[in-house]
Amino acid sequence: MRLSETQTLFSRTMLDHPDAVANPDPALAGLFAGEEAILPARLKIYRNNILGSLTKAMQATYPLIEKLTGEEFATGLMRSFVLESPPQEACLARYGAGLDAFIETFSPAKDLPYLADVARLEWAMNEAYYAPDDRPLTPAGLQNVPLEELADMILPLRASIRLLDSRWPLSAIRNFCLKENRDERETLNLDQGGCQIMVYRPGLSADIVPLESAEYAFLQAMSAGDTLGQSLETILKTFPGFDFKGFLQKHMALETFSSPVANT
Amino acid sequence: MEKKVNLFHPEEGSYPPVKNPAGIGLRHAHYKDVIETKPAVGWLEVHPENYFGGGAHRHYLTKARELYPVSFHAVGLSLGSTERVSRDHLRQIKELIEIYEPFQVSDHASWSMSGNAHLNDLLPLPYTKETLSILCRNIEETQEFLGQRILVENPSTYLSFKSSTMPEWDFMNEAARRNGCGILLDVNNIYVQSRNHGFDAFEYLRGIEGRHVGEIHLAGHTEQEIADGSTVLIDTHDSLVRPEVWNLYGFAIEKFGPIPTLIEWDQNLPPLSTLAAEAGRAAAIIRERALPHAAE
Repeated sequence: MRLSETQTLFSRTMLDHPDAVANPDPALAGLFAGEEAILPARLKIYRNNILGSLTKAMQATYPLIEKLTGEEFATGLMRSFVLESPPQEACLARYGAGLDAFIETFSPAKDLPYLADVARLEWAMNEAYYAPDDRPLTPAGLQNVPLEELADMILPLRASIRLLDSRWPLSAIRNFCLKENRDERETLNLDQGGCQIMVYRPGLSADIVPLESAEYAFLQAMSAGDTLGQSLETILKTFPGFDFKGFLQKHMALETFSSPVANT
Repeated sequence: MEKKVNLFHPEEGSYPPVKNPAGIGLRHAHYKDVIETKPAVGWLEVHPENYFGGGAHRHYLTKARELYPVSFHAVGLSLGSTERVSRDHLRQIKELIEIYEPFQVSDHASWSMSGNAHLNDLLPLPYTKETLSILCRNIEETQEFLGQRILVENPSTYLSFKSSTMPEWDFMNEAARRNGCGILLDVNNIYVQSRNHGFDAFEYLRGIEGRHVGEIHLAGHTEQEIADGSTVLIDTHDSLVRPEVWNLYGFAIEKFGPIPTLIEWDQNLPPLSTLAAEAGRAAAIIRERALPHAAE
C-alpha cells in the first residue's frame, strides 16, 4: 500500500466511530507487524492520544462551558466537536472556532439556550489572548491632529478587540462561573436581559467591559472602517444624545485604538 | 539579545567550551519561575507553535531569551506526511526564528497531517524507500525555506509496519546522509522502541552515525498494561528519566560526545527545581564521560 493510502486509512480510523479501532478494517490491520490480537489495544493508544489531547486543548479554551455544564458533559461535547471538526493546522491556539454553531446543533445542549453565546464569548477571549502584539494609540498621538482633520481619521481597533451582542447576560454568567467558594444552592437569573460587551487585552490576559448601546454601535461602525465623522453621523441618527467626549476618554483609557503604523 | 550560540559543531570535530550543555523545556507554568529564579541550566527549548500568536507567550519568551540560548522543537511540520509541508506553518516558524534566533531547529520523523486534518500526535511511519524519499523531500523543502539545517527526532511508536525494510537507526542515518539534516536523538524513545518492538537499544545507539547527532532528548515514560495483556511503554513525558534510560544516555555520551541534552517534561509538571536537577544530572554525565575524552 502506498504511504498516502496508509495515512488516509489510519487517519480515518482515528476519527471514526470507536468500533473502527475495536474491529479495524482488514486493509489497515494487514499493515502492521505482530499478532492481530494486539492491534485494537495499540490503535486505541493512538486514538486516546489524539482525541485526548485535542479534547484537552478545547477544554482549556472553553473553561466556562465546563464550569456551567460539568466535566462529563463538557468532555462529551468537546470530543464530539473534535471528531466532527479536527484541526486543519498544527497550531492549537487557533483551534476551536465554531464551537458556538456546533452547540446549536448538539442535541444534549438543546435545553441550554445560552451555551452557544458563552462559547462565542470564550472564543472571542481566546482570540484576544493570542492576538498579534500592537501598540495603542496614546493621547499624544491624537494631540497633533488638527481639529479639521479629526473627522476624516480612521481609528483602527486593536487586534485584540472583539465586540459581542447577546440576548443573555454574559458578564453575569461569567462572574457567576468565576466566583470562588460559590454556594451550591446559588442560582443566576438568566432573564435579567442581554448585554453588549467588548473583549480586550489589558496587559497579558483577556478581559471584558460592558458597553452602552450607542457605544457598541459606534465601535461597530469604526471597526467596519468608517471615519470618525461617518461613524458619528450614523450614531447621532439613532442616539442623538451620544456623548462622544465621554466615549473617547473611556476608550483612550482602555487603549481600544491602535496606533497608526507610521507612528510606532 | 545576545548573538546566536552554536553549542556544538559536529562537523568541526571539536567541542567549544560549553559550561553547561544541559537544557530544559520551557513550559507555560514555569515562565515566571524561570525568569525570576534563573535556574542553572544551559539553554531552553520551546515548541515554536506555542508562539504563533502574540500576547503572554511571546512576552515571556522574549524575557527568557534575554537570559538563555533557545532552541526550537517544532511539533507541527508533519515531515512524514505525503502531503507537502505547510508553507504557512514554515512562514510562521521563520518569523519566530528571525525574532528569537534559536541555535537549533528540529521536528520529528513522524506524521500528523492527512487530508487537511491535523491529528496532533506523532504517528508512525513504515521504514521504506518510499517513506525516505517523502521524508527527505519534506526536510529539504523545510531547510530551503528556513535557510538552515534542521534536526529530525526519532519517534516513540506503538505499532510497527510489516513493510519496513530497514531498522529505524538505518532509516535515521539515511535521512541525515541524504539531505544533510541532523539527528535529534531521543534516548528515551530508543528505550521505548526497544521494549515495544523487541530489539537491543545499545545496538540502535551503535548503529547511529555520530556525525549526524546534534541534540539529545531525555524524558520519562509510562509502562501500561493494555487490554490484550501485553505491556506497552508510552512516551508520556510525565516523570523522572528512568534508570535504564540514564544508563543508555551514558553510553550515548561516550560515543557521541558532549551533545546538547534536553530534559523534556510536558504533563504533571514538577517544580522547576526538579527539572533543573535532572538537567544537572545530564550535565554531570557529560562532564564525566564525554569531556575528558574530548580533551584528548
